[in-house]
Amino acid sequence: MMRRALALATTVALVAPSAAFARGSFDPTKEFEQHEWVPIHLGPLNLSITKAVAYLMLGSVLTILFGIFFMRSKAARVPGRRETLGELAYEVAQTQIAEQGLPSKAMSRWFPYCASLLLFIFVVNLIGFIPLPLTGETWHGVPTWGIYAATSSISVTLALALLTFVFTHVEGVRWNGPVRYFKSWIPEAPAGLLILIVPLEVLGQFMRLISLSVRLFANMLAGHILILTFLGLMFILQSVVLAVLVVPVGILFYLFEVIIVVGIQAFIFAALSAIYIGSAIEPEH
Amino acid sequence: MINLLFSAASNSPITHAGKAIGLALGVGLGALGAGVGIGNIFGSMIQSVARQPELRGELQGIQWLGFALTEAVVFYGLLGSILAYVLV
Repeated sequence: MMRRALALATTVALVAPSAAFARGSFDPTKEFEQHEWVPIHLGPLNLSITKAVAYLMLGSVLTILFGIFFMRSKAARVPGRRETLGELAYEVAQTQIAEQGLPSKAMSRWFPYCASLLLFIFVVNLIGFIPLPLTGETWHGVPTWGIYAATSSISVTLALALLTFVFTHVEGVRWNGPVRYFKSWIPEAPAGLLILIVPLEVLGQFMRLISLSVRLFANMLAGHILILTFLGLMFILQSVVLAVLVVPVGILFYLFEVIIVVGIQAFIFAALSAIYIGSAIEPEH
Repeated sequence: MINLLFSAASNSPITHAGKAIGLALGVGLGALGAGVGIGNIFGSMIQSVARQPELRGELQGIQWLGFALTEAVVFYGLLGSILAYVLV
């Protein structure tokens, strides 16, 4: 009975808007525009505070609070639920990320970096799916609530990827010396093939930068656009009946993003950073 | 015919249609490849756990790593086609 009612409602929703097939004025990509809220210009540098910067600040504060609340405070040291959660985060960072990529001699130096990458990206991704009054728009003087993730901006993820890129090569040179490190890029192959392989290896180092940043950025951007487009179909096709179909699908995508994508992407970014840094410290041959 | 295509103004209906087809093809082919790859990863994971259930914990980390690396392929396709859509 329930299913038949749903099927009927869906059919009505798909048939009804054809009369009013006018395109509404909803554009999901507008959600990702950056407006300068507090303009700060230092010469050619534009350090203005925009939506993404506000989300990053909020994310940093929340990450620090997470660390203090679950790991450093006195109450977090007595066994209990709080301690368990803090230790769970620590254990994932240690056994799943740091020990997979980093050699044990570099563990004490680079474990903090990889663990903070994991926590920070996770928190920034997660607050991107919590509606917050940070859209910068107002409705009768009340700020409107919306979802936006700072990691869905390529500048943010590229900055994080650049950190890993720089650390990788600085550590490679520091542990092995410049000659041995750059020699480790050259694989053993006949001299004729080397002309082909070496440029590819060098290119591969820069491709890491692109793949690391684009993976996180495109995942978060696509997730948000997917949810916004599905909800926006109501406004584009101008039909409220469509909500029967569109809202459950939107919620499904939302749950998929929050439960799977947010954690996985933070994990992947931190794990790949650990692997890159580890492989630079201990080249395979 | 070819002359007509090349001399067409960049906001002609043919250009719009081509852009839309390019966008859809880029995302669709990317999703096709990623679908095959992700299926492979989870399939192998199921087989390995069925053979050696005690290795599940160790394999899970590798599985998610492979999943995310493969899944990113869709987004390279998406990004490329969006670039083509916007720039052309």
